[in-house]
Amino acid sequence: MSPGRRRRRQAGTAYLFLAPGLLLFAVFRVYPLLEGLQLSFTNARLGRATAQFVGLANYTRLAEDDRFHVSLVNTAFYTLASTLPILAVPLALALALNRGRLRNLLRSVFFFPFTLSVVTVGLAWLWLLDPVVGPFNYYLRALGVPTRSWLADPATAMWAIILTTVWWVTGYYLVIYLAGLQDIPRDLYEAAALDGAGGWRAFWSITLPLLRPVLLFVVVTHVIGSFQLFGQVFVLTGGGPGDATRTVVQHLFEAAFQNFFQFGAASAMAWVLFAVILVFSIAQFRLLRGHTEY
Amino acid sequence: MDRAHSAVSRRSFLTGVAVTATAATVWPRPGAAQPKATITYWNGLTGADGKVMDELIDRFTKETGIRIEQQRLPWAELYAKLQVSVPAGEGPDLALIHTVEVPHFAHDGVLETIDDATAGGKGFRGEDYLPATWQGGVYQGKRYSLPLDVPQHVLYLNVKVMKDAGLVGADGKPKVPASRDELVTMAKAMTKGEAFGFAIGTMNPGRYTWGFHNLLWQNGANIYTPDLKRAAVAEPAALEVAEFFAALPHQHKVVPPANANCRDAFIAGRLGMWIAGSWNFTGLRDAKVDFVAAPVPRLFKQPVVWSMPHQYSFPKVKTADRARRDAAWAHVRWMTDHVAEWTLKAGQVSASRKAHGDPRITGDPVLKTLLAQAPNWQVGQATPKWVAAENVTRPIVESVYTGQKPAKAAMEELAKQINALPD
Repeated sequence: MSPGRRRRRQAGTAYLFLAPGLLLFAVFRVYPLLEGLQLSFTNARLGRATAQFVGLANYTRLAEDDRFHVSLVNTAFYTLASTLPILAVPLALALALNRGRLRNLLRSVFFFPFTLSVVTVGLAWLWLLDPVVGPFNYYLRALGVPTRSWLADPATAMWAIILTTVWWVTGYYLVIYLAGLQDIPRDLYEAAALDGAGGWRAFWSITLPLLRPVLLFVVVTHVIGSFQLFGQVFVLTGGGPGDATRTVVQHLFEAAFQNFFQFGAASAMAWVLFAVILVFSIAQFRLLRGHTEY
Repeated sequence: MDRAHSAVSRRSFLTGVAVTATAATVWPRPGAAQPKATITYWNGLTGADGKVMDELIDRFTKETGIRIEQQRLPWAELYAKLQVSVPAGEGPDLALIHTVEVPHFAHDGVLETIDDATAGGKGFRGEDYLPATWQGGVYQGKRYSLPLDVPQHVLYLNVKVMKDAGLVGADGKPKVPASRDELVTMAKAMTKGEAFGFAIGTMNPGRYTWGFHNLLWQNGANIYTPDLKRAAVAEPAALEVAEFFAALPHQHKVVPPANANCRDAFIAGRLGMWIAGSWNFTGLRDAKVDFVAAPVPRLFKQPVVWSMPHQYSFPKVKTADRARRDAAWAHVRWMTDHVAEWTLKAGQVSASRKAHGDPRITGDPVLKTLLAQAPNWQVGQATPKWVAAENVTRPIVESVYTGQKPAKAAMEELAKQINALPD
């Protein structure tokens, strides 16, 4: 058998093995995506017998929808403001828990919140931050610190959601960072120590550069997740006070499932969101890409 | 015995047994129990009332042989699921919905119509119900649902908080505010530090919409104009209500901050007077709070009480199944006949007048108060846009409460958003 023919045969076998996965991906991911794109050019609504083609009307209406703009700004603010804590807090914990006697126990402790559902987390923090009967304000008052209604104050509501999210997902990113730290060869640190490098120097010159693929993964997945923020907001503030924490997905959800089941308009929102996420993801890959060599 | 002398062979004996057994199984016998239908029933009774419904359904099944498969999910999800499932032919035989959902489900062809002859034949007649509840099942002259009970607002008075503020009469009972000014004066007397005199609304986050509706209706205002063609929330009567809403936290400073869980605050003795849903009272009793329920005070022109009756509806099915439809009717009839027990255990006053004279109900001080409010019950306007209008009202009323927007600007914005809702 010629090498070319063998290669083609191997590729054919590989595609055969990939086929079930690709089929599922096409049916449950690609098809709904394209169906959504088609819907976004119609006035489709559940309860309406037929949907008419409306061209770009759903998209132009979004350009005039003040609440959609507010939700885009809020979502972008959340994404930007939460990225640094999401990068830094789990990394600091991972460095602290990379070795030590209690590391396995502490890793489990920090991972525990991530095993909870978003509703459980939301309800727990709703109680913790309750302005009248919540423990958070109770202890602040005991310390003589001024209190406020954290989730009902436009100045603090989004920060409270960020705090809740960091608490919830830190354990997940901690595990990712720990895996990345384990992959860094120990002899690099030994060589650096022999050359007189201290802890900070080793961190800046070895740990951080070699964690670049992990950092890229964390940033990209976090940014994509942030643009899709919904659960925490839905439970904690309902998008309030007013529209201070309203996000794009909440706006989309309400259009699709609460206000007249406007699937056409909601699909247009979903595609705008998709485009935004795509642009951010490409930008991040370009910024953080680089060859890592051990 | 010699086999040759056997009168009946084994084969013919077994054949005989088989034929007899088959005949016994398939031969109709007068009076024998026919297999009963199993029906599907969707509702949003996710609280303590769900357990009561389970108990009553168990009894219904024991008495009638009809099995009910319930699906219980939060109301908002239930409505989304109904809207999606019914056109696909996957809807339930029976659904419990709120009155304000009837117009849009009827408009979208999700619900079957119920003609008067059928309803009358099953013993359901308008004169057995209070008008607000009976009319709630009608959209554009056709009936789509039958009322079960009447969740409504009521004023809860925290006896300890009011006693501490000296707001009890000579008989030791808490005073009930008779006007807006009196309510504010009493609330100020109870507001100290982290304790507040008054709150209106259900649960966090920011569910002030129904309280706002209640006050709108008290002032003769509403969300839509009477012809249902445009928003009426920027009219002077509505604006007066919005200004009162804004004054409560900012001028009078007598209400908890937005997002406070009023129920927990009331239980913890940090809230004196609370206008909230009747569904809270069983929970307050379980929490052993010393409280009194009073009718919603007349804070504006008329003593209207917000209510949102639960309604039984029959979602459309792809292929009609007479037995299942009859079984669903049988359950609605049975529940209506046993509604006094539902009222006593679930705390929801029945829509049917028949149970209103039950001494067990009139002997309960809270249920008695709820019944006394019946002439003042009002429900949302019968437009398919009502629920969507409610959804856009919530953040705007909240922004008035938190001081993010002045009342006038907020109401103008709300009118704009309501008028922009799609058809």
